[in-house]
Amino acid sequence: MAVKVQKHLKPQIQNKKVKLTAADHVFNICVNAFMVFILIAIIIPVWSTVTLSFRPADFLGTNLEGMFLPPWDWSTDAYTALLGNDGFLDAFLNSFKILIGGVACALILTVPMAYVLSVQSLPGRKIINMIVIIPYVFNVGMIPAYLLVKDIGLIGHLPAVFLPGAISTYNCIIMRQFFVGIPNELKESARIDGCTELQVLFRIILPLSKAIVMTIGLYYGVSFWNDFFNAMLYLNDNYPLPILLRNILLASGMNEYVEVSAFGNAPVNAIKAASVFMSAIPMVIAYPFIQKYFTKGTLLGSVKG
Amino acid sequence: MKISRQGTAAAPVPKQMQRSKLRREIARHRSVYVLALIPLIYYIIFKYVPIWNSQIAFKDFMAIDGVLGSPWIGLENFRTFINSFYFWSLIRNTVMYSVGKLLISLPLSVILAIAIYECTRPGLRKVVQTLAYLPHFLSWVIMYGILLALLAPGDGVFNDVIELCGGKAVDFLSNTKTFPWVVLISDAWKEMGWSAIIFIAALMGIDVSLFEAAMVEGANSWQRVRYITLPAIAPVIVTVLILKLGTILDAGFNQIFMLYSPQVYAVGDIIDTWVYRQGLLEFEFGLATAVGLFKGVFGMFLVLFANWLSRKLTDSSLF
Amino acid sequence: MKALRNIMIAMLIALAVLPLAAGGSKEAAAASGDGPVTIELWFGAAMTEAGMVPDDWVGYDIIRDKLGIDLKLTMLPSNESDQDVKIQAAGAGNALPDIFMVRRPVLVNLVKQGLVSPVDDCFDKMPHRTELLYDKDAKAHATVNGHIYGFPSPGMIVRNEGLLVRKDWLDKLGLSVPTTTEEFLEVARAFTFEDPDGNGVNDTYGYGAFIEIESNLKGYPGSRLWPIMGAFGVEGLWSLKSGEEGLNIYKPEFYDFMVFLKGMCDEGIIDPNWLSYKKDDFRAAWKQGRFGMMYEQNAAYAATSNYAPFDKNFPDGEWIVIDAIKGPEGKAAIGAYDMNYRIYAVSRKAADAGKLDKICELLEWMSSDEGYYLLGWGVEGVNYVLDEDGIPVAGDLGDMAFTGSKGQVYTQLRNLVFYNGDVELASRYPTYITEVSKKEMSALKTLREMQAMTWTNAIGSGNLPTPNADVKRFYEQTLGEFLTGARPLNEGTWQEFIDGFNAIGGKAWNDEGVAYMTENGLLHD
Repeated sequence: MAVKVQKHLKPQIQNKKVKLTAADHVFNICVNAFMVFILIAIIIPVWSTVTLSFRPADFLGTNLEGMFLPPWDWSTDAYTALLGNDGFLDAFLNSFKILIGGVACALILTVPMAYVLSVQSLPGRKIINMIVIIPYVFNVGMIPAYLLVKDIGLIGHLPAVFLPGAISTYNCIIMRQFFVGIPNELKESARIDGCTELQVLFRIILPLSKAIVMTIGLYYGVSFWNDFFNAMLYLNDNYPLPILLRNILLASGMNEYVEVSAFGNAPVNAIKAASVFMSAIPMVIAYPFIQKYFTKGTLLGSVKG
Repeated sequence: MKISRQGTAAAPVPKQMQRSKLRREIARHRSVYVLALIPLIYYIIFKYVPIWNSQIAFKDFMAIDGVLGSPWIGLENFRTFINSFYFWSLIRNTVMYSVGKLLISLPLSVILAIAIYECTRPGLRKVVQTLAYLPHFLSWVIMYGILLALLAPGDGVFNDVIELCGGKAVDFLSNTKTFPWVVLISDAWKEMGWSAIIFIAALMGIDVSLFEAAMVEGANSWQRVRYITLPAIAPVIVTVLILKLGTILDAGFNQIFMLYSPQVYAVGDIIDTWVYRQGLLEFEFGLATAVGLFKGVFGMFLVLFANWLSRKLTDSSLF
Repeated sequence: MKALRNIMIAMLIALAVLPLAAGGSKEAAAASGDGPVTIELWFGAAMTEAGMVPDDWVGYDIIRDKLGIDLKLTMLPSNESDQDVKIQAAGAGNALPDIFMVRRPVLVNLVKQGLVSPVDDCFDKMPHRTELLYDKDAKAHATVNGHIYGFPSPGMIVRNEGLLVRKDWLDKLGLSVPTTTEEFLEVARAFTFEDPDGNGVNDTYGYGAFIEIESNLKGYPGSRLWPIMGAFGVEGLWSLKSGEEGLNIYKPEFYDFMVFLKGMCDEGIIDPNWLSYKKDDFRAAWKQGRFGMMYEQNAAYAATSNYAPFDKNFPDGEWIVIDAIKGPEGKAAIGAYDMNYRIYAVSRKAADAGKLDKICELLEWMSSDEGYYLLGWGVEGVNYVLDEDGIPVAGDLGDMAFTGSKGQVYTQLRNLVFYNGDVELASRYPTYITEVSKKEMSALKTLREMQAMTWTNAIGSGNLPTPNADVKRFYEQTLGEFLTGARPLNEGTWQEFIDGFNAIGGKAWNDEGVAYMTENGLLHD
């Protein structure tokens, strides 16, 4: 039964004995209608960007007409041009290093911090809470942060992009909230069994929190992968992908002064649209894996087991 | 945990014993403190040194002299900001957008998460869950192009429809009445799916046996959402809400900066865009930092208040 | 679980080591400073999105061997405000590179902070480059408080924009080229209501534009309206004509212009999207034949890849460059022009470290024949060949040519040496035959036509003081609201606007600007 429940999201479907009332039917109609509405709302911008990125250079219609261009008329010029760009590979590698280093640092720092904040019996918890929340609220801005990065000698080095944001208080507190939600009996019984706090974290909390740790890891990953502002401020010759993409997106005057374009024959707008999908790469790759942990009643199963 | 805390509060204990109890508690949590050590060192270096550096808000910052060497000028930078001709307009717009986003985007993303959770059609659910976050990645430059195609007065889809129905075309992006809605709705449109992820994660923790029990007792779907699902994820919603209140004076720089234009400055200019034009582009870093501190004081007050309120009302709080 | 913990521990160690490694590599770089002098240069790339100058560029070796300089290049971001932010942040941290490109308003801030070095004495050390690049106006553009803070090389060519009209539409409707505001309105109405493209749909407009403003030369509503503003004598943000000096907004004709423009908006003869367009949208719009008159830049209109879509859409279409239209009082101008410069400033740190002479040597070498062609076009036979007139062309060098996808990154530094000389222009804007209509096109010919039209001299506008954010917002917002109708436009409300503008600090800004013009001899007749 428990396994079945995890596979399906709607318990009453399995439970044929329960009769659906009129209110249930209305509910289902509302939910499905809302989902269809959302689907349409999502597909419009995504589809128009997808079709824009496959727009051939000799397409002359408006953007709206472009959305209905049949796939056999699509062109991959924009993608070949983008991937063939000299700077692309270097930028991609730099971004990849930032992604891996950033997510590793972020999780190593955030998970313990979130756990510490979730131990409600901890003497001094309030002080630690304030230590965490004050910098979140007082976002003092670019220059004080720049001065720090400069003073510790990180200017020009990739960690400068992710270290200042390696703990996002927002993510940390969200994670803490999930840790707090884990039933106390579990933690207590482990403590009574003689587990140290570290063991409680690793044996009880983390196995039950895969979904949220993954989600927060994903949030970090996406923010590091797409961070252009820190990269622009702190890096000099080792630019990551967002800088390249921003240069493309904002290079409005392409072709203006010279007879060449950086991307051969591909139309500028197609390049811009194609570059957008580069920023979604980690998400598109990682999200399906994470969704596997998004199954109903995970917690229940664990408590029983 | 609650019980033990109440226990200590209820019975008056001699000071001596209290102290030794505290010592025992600290000793019991030794490993927790060890765990906290590295993150706390991180906080001191990467979060508190910048706060220390933010003393330039009270100084006439000269780069050559550094943070410590620059002369103190008191509250001059704060005065510049508060005496700015548009101060109240900036505050009003900023609060309008951040509150508006809290009222529109946050409920929508909770509803979306619940809809994904409750959806009876697995195909639809899967497609929506897999695609919903994608608009988050369309940068505002791209979004502007899409908005223009929809809203342009000359040939935007919306205006074509309005004109077909006999109405008069509206320049949504340049009209002070419509612009705030464009900002709020386009934000919900772009970010809803992304913010829903956290609530979907929260929904996964619900004990499904509760639903079965509720069904046996004859609760319909609406009642189950009302009495089981929402209360179960309420702590996470409250957490997100309180955290967002802490940054209430950030109204989304990137979005506004891309969408606004002089015609709609009256309803489009927010604190961050003002700081960008007046502070960052003009080397007024003391001023920019002062505004950051100003926003912080405001946010701190709101966070403490919301936290207090949430503890009173729902018994769940951040700290 | 144990494996997970081991991973965590390993990561923890990695985390601790990371900053150390970062610090380590920095020291290593500093230690090798014995031989050649290291010069760090932040440059504005010719085409940022194409990528960095590759490590195998021959220039690095030549510069090291000949000049004893280890050149370290950093490409600045492509848009101006990002550049400003990066440079000012580095300034705030006293971490500016040795030499860097910077806009004048930022330079003025850096000078106030004492972060850049005056270079008055340097020009004598590079006679050849000074003769080619740095004339009196150029030096004035980099002058703050009587000292020259940086090397201002010429930027965009001046007067490179013009008023363009669809000749095929004029012919079809039997109209002649408009010469006055009255005729201009007639043509605009005809283009809007008489279906000039003959597709039976009411989908065209008379005039197309977008808001293109900038801090010193182009005040709201921006340069794309200049030909109309010119008819009222209010083109450009500032007037530098003696007797009328000051902000153009103060002239009564500015109100007349606003009434005229508002009339065009209400009548629907200006593309109603103009307030929402950004540059790219505007450019896409004229290629799709949405309007028949516009103000556009020579290459954006006539260069091969820019004209091609229009050529395909409208093989019979034809734009012509026309002269300014005359206003009610006989005034006329295509627009106002100022010289454009890219200032390369030297940080005080670099000057203190005694690098100024080396920097002069480097710049002078760049302007030698060797440097000029190497930075401008690359290596002869690899990236370019000379045609019979001695103009560098791509020939059949393919990808490696300076126009090819692999070769173009070798000429990223070309803006450091170009001075809009004849060789450059001929190479940059060749004559070509369009693909569909087989027309002969040349952006250079278009440029010459545009330059021959009536222009207003506003040289020195770029050196004038910039307003603070509130004054600027008041100016732009109120004019914008007049145009959208959010604020009624009549004599009374206009006077209110001027009064409000004066009160918020506009008067002080105007006075400051006029004082600067007078002191620095920018006024002319």
